[in-house]
Amino acid sequence: MTAVTDTPSQQVHLTVGAKAALITVIVGALCLALEGAAPWLVKWPTAWELPATEWVGTFLDWFLNGIKPAMRLFSDLMTYPMDAANYVLGNTPWPILIGLVTALGWYLGGLPMAALGFVGLSFVLASGYWVESMNTLALVAVSVPVALTVGGAIGILANEVPKVKSFVQAVLDVMQTVPTFAYLTPLLLLFGFGPVVGLIASAIYAAPPMARNVMLGLERVEPEIKEAAIMSGGTRFQQLFQVEIPAAATQIMVGVNQCLMAALSMVIIAAVIGGFNDIGWEVLLTMRKAQFGEALMAGLVIVVFAVVIDRMSGTLATERKRYDQRVVWAVLGFTVLFTAAFWAWLPNPSELTILDPMADVIDSGLTAFTQANGPWLDALKNNSLFYVLLPLRIGLDQAVLPFTWGFQWTPGMSYGLFAVGAGIAALMAWRGRLTGGLVVLILIGMLETGISNLPWPFVLTATAALGWVAGGWRLAVLSVGLLCTILVSGLWERALLSLYLSGAAVFSCAVVGGLIGLASAVWGPVWKVVRPICDMLQTIPLFVFLIPVLMVFQIGEFSAFLAICAYAIVPMIRYTRHGLINTPEEMMEAAISSGATEWQIMRDVRGPYAAPTILLGLNQTILYAFAMLVIAALIGTTGLGQSIYLALGQADVGLGISAGAAMAILALIADRMVQGFAEERRKALGL
Amino acid sequence: MTDVNTPAIACQNLWQVFGPGAEKALTDALSRSGNDAEKAAADLSEKGFIPAVQDANFEVKDGELFVIMGLSGSGKSTLIRCISQLLPGTGGEIRVDGENVIGASKKALTELRRKKLGMVFQHFGLFPHMTVAENVAYPLRVQGIGRKERLARAQEVISLVGLEGREDSFPRQLSGGQRQRVGIARSLAVNPDIWFLDEPFSALDPLIRRQLQDEFLRIQATLKKSIVFITHDIAEALKLADRIAIMRDGKIVQIGTPTDIVLRPVDDYVREFSKDVAKGQHAKVASVMRDESECGPDDPGLTTAMTLDAALAHCMELYEPVPVRDESGAVVGTVHPSDLAAALQVDES
Repeated sequence: MTAVTDTPSQQVHLTVGAKAALITVIVGALCLALEGAAPWLVKWPTAWELPATEWVGTFLDWFLNGIKPAMRLFSDLMTYPMDAANYVLGNTPWPILIGLVTALGWYLGGLPMAALGFVGLSFVLASGYWVESMNTLALVAVSVPVALTVGGAIGILANEVPKVKSFVQAVLDVMQTVPTFAYLTPLLLLFGFGPVVGLIASAIYAAPPMARNVMLGLERVEPEIKEAAIMSGGTRFQQLFQVEIPAAATQIMVGVNQCLMAALSMVIIAAVIGGFNDIGWEVLLTMRKAQFGEALMAGLVIVVFAVVIDRMSGTLATERKRYDQRVVWAVLGFTVLFTAAFWAWLPNPSELTILDPMADVIDSGLTAFTQANGPWLDALKNNSLFYVLLPLRIGLDQAVLPFTWGFQWTPGMSYGLFAVGAGIAALMAWRGRLTGGLVVLILIGMLETGISNLPWPFVLTATAALGWVAGGWRLAVLSVGLLCTILVSGLWERALLSLYLSGAAVFSCAVVGGLIGLASAVWGPVWKVVRPICDMLQTIPLFVFLIPVLMVFQIGEFSAFLAICAYAIVPMIRYTRHGLINTPEEMMEAAISSGATEWQIMRDVRGPYAAPTILLGLNQTILYAFAMLVIAALIGTTGLGQSIYLALGQADVGLGISAGAAMAILALIADRMVQGFAEERRKALGL
Repeated sequence: MTDVNTPAIACQNLWQVFGPGAEKALTDALSRSGNDAEKAAADLSEKGFIPAVQDANFEVKDGELFVIMGLSGSGKSTLIRCISQLLPGTGGEIRVDGENVIGASKKALTELRRKKLGMVFQHFGLFPHMTVAENVAYPLRVQGIGRKERLARAQEVISLVGLEGREDSFPRQLSGGQRQRVGIARSLAVNPDIWFLDEPFSALDPLIRRQLQDEFLRIQATLKKSIVFITHDIAEALKLADRIAIMRDGKIVQIGTPTDIVLRPVDDYVREFSKDVAKGQHAKVASVMRDESECGPDDPGLTTAMTLDAALAHCMELYEPVPVRDESGAVVGTVHPSDLAAALQVDES
């Protein structure tokens, strides 16, 4: 559809991209020129806002109150399995639980997995957080079966009834983009405070990955296997349960793994409202009290659980081999004997303080570290804030102050900047790259104005233009329509703030992650180091990312920015490497035999071939950044994330859901556009 | 077995059209064109439908090995899926043992498959989570036959295809040739009368392919099933078939014995196929035999079932007509040696 380069020709013929960019430039320039005369161009007047959040709130209050009795009944019912799980996990002597996990580890993955289970749980025991961990685990133990059943049933239903499928797919897509905290507010109203909210939130959050994988797995069963089942004379029921589901087992196990991890992650996040004696609450509490040593310790306990659960359930999907059951019985027998023999001497797990000194050491070490490196860390933080984040947020015209930059920004400087931009654009246009030049001009304009101060007509036009280029007029209309709902609902400024922070994080992730991915692709040893780090970052529940950044940089936008980057960078690295590594061997050989150098191959063959994959990585990074943005609101961001978090505190369903929806809209638009670009690249390459 | 006069399978005006509302579109197109298949097909294509099988008419006799040959996209896989009712069939009739299966109830179809049909797939279609024995026994399991009994029957067919000793292996532990043996065994587990094979040997390398073709012929010689066999390989078709149907763009362009196909192709498309085939190895003396009694003095001992190559080797130095005998030894006609040579040269032009 578009070409980035415009071939000069006698008659002026603009590509779609150039036209879109040109319109955007004109609208932007008009907005800037009329800024003084018509301030409503920059800031959507309050008088024009619709009280959408209140409407949503009123409606939801009514709706939720209507279903409240049924839900309360459900929650009362759920307390039984929860109490049972709590009782079992809380009263089983710890050696037996450690033995069970070790034995399970052995059965699934042999000695390494058994060792992982044993060491991991021993660490939990030694940390003194055993009781809290068991409470968390009890929640997971109840929510996961619920999520697996519901998710599995939805997946099968969607597979059996084609009409349901596209609907289910759409709902799952939306659920993936709605931020986690947004679920919590209505649940809070329905179920009141307490662990049940966490349970249900985690079940709701963990069911979609299961449904998705069941659908995918069943869809991917080889058609001939399905046909063979039919020709064998099986009824539909027999085909499904005897052939298709077992044949899709690997993919379904991936779903089980993702379901477990999502449930764990959500249970911990739900602690924010739970206030019940679990490990997530412990992290939050110690973090609020600035006891970072202990927060880190509790965070590590969460990480240990995440790693143990992830690796063990991961083998379900990858390894077929199972290990000798006799060892399992031996381990279990030993732990029972051990427990019986030392019953009187078994320490109470919550009184264990073996690792307390370590927490103290971390605390004091941290204090010493921040004191010793204070100036340097502060400089890093302040420089990033003053010279990068702030200009992006409010624009050079407001961010450049004598106090920070050493001089005052003047309108003259703006004109100078625009002149430079126009010069670059003209030069690039003359070299036949009109679109590129216009984009440079737009970016310079955005830098001067600041993302949070962008005039709304400009944002709408730019979105429409991008949508048009990425996916045709349908996408343009959809994007603008969705953005307009944010505009009129009074969440616009907050949305722009969210856009700014996630945009900055995504941009940093794209650059840094792309480079790391490139390095990993060309140089094996780098990947050896990067890979385990990526694995670790993807296993850790979102919440835990906050602890280290908070320890070093305290509460604030910069910490939030770092936390988002740490979480969102992983897909960028992985996809970039994957795309570059998977260039077909023949293509490489053809390039080499044409006499291309290493660098030329990278630029001309591997790069373009990997482009669609890298774009998908960028897409994931964007979604990850939005997901983390809300969590990061806990440590100080402005914008939609903060609103969602505030709504949770005030049990304001209208605000919570509206802000959540606005966030989902931003994520959805970004997702569709990047997918559009990726699709176009794939088509261009004939993939 | 059924009455000899009822064909095992009979397809009449069979259509398979893809697209939303294909059934009505087909009826409309046929009535507009006055039942002219070619016009109707063109009409359907124009409207965005895909007429994958167009007006197919043929019969498979009891115990006959009927091969459907065509290039990829010619509709042969669609056709076999139509007959086996993996696809519903848009129009026409398919009679299996005299009963129309188009529009038959789900239950009736399941019953038919459990008793009378077996199918082998190009990529084997083995169940990855079952052992060889369990795979082979599966068609019996769905009927509710007890474990012991069905495994005993599975053992029989596993021996038939020469896979003894691999009963407890999983498909992933087998080679391609072994996997297809499992596929064949499974399709024979219920001892079906009608056997569908969808490019069963295409995914195998040439040596294994020939080995399995020979074994397939051996099995068929004892079992005498009615077979629909799909292939894109003319040599395979000529080697195995009693009769061949050649498909192109959804239409059957010629049905005939291997000799017919090689010596009397109906058009250039079929001729193109047989061009690469060494004719002398496939066409039989019967195809050039004349119904005359005047002979020369020599009798090189030709029979009707001899290939042209073999016959030519016997008549190298002869110019006069020679007598041809049938299996019983009675003279049934004559062959002019010049006809033999001419028959082999058709394609040189």
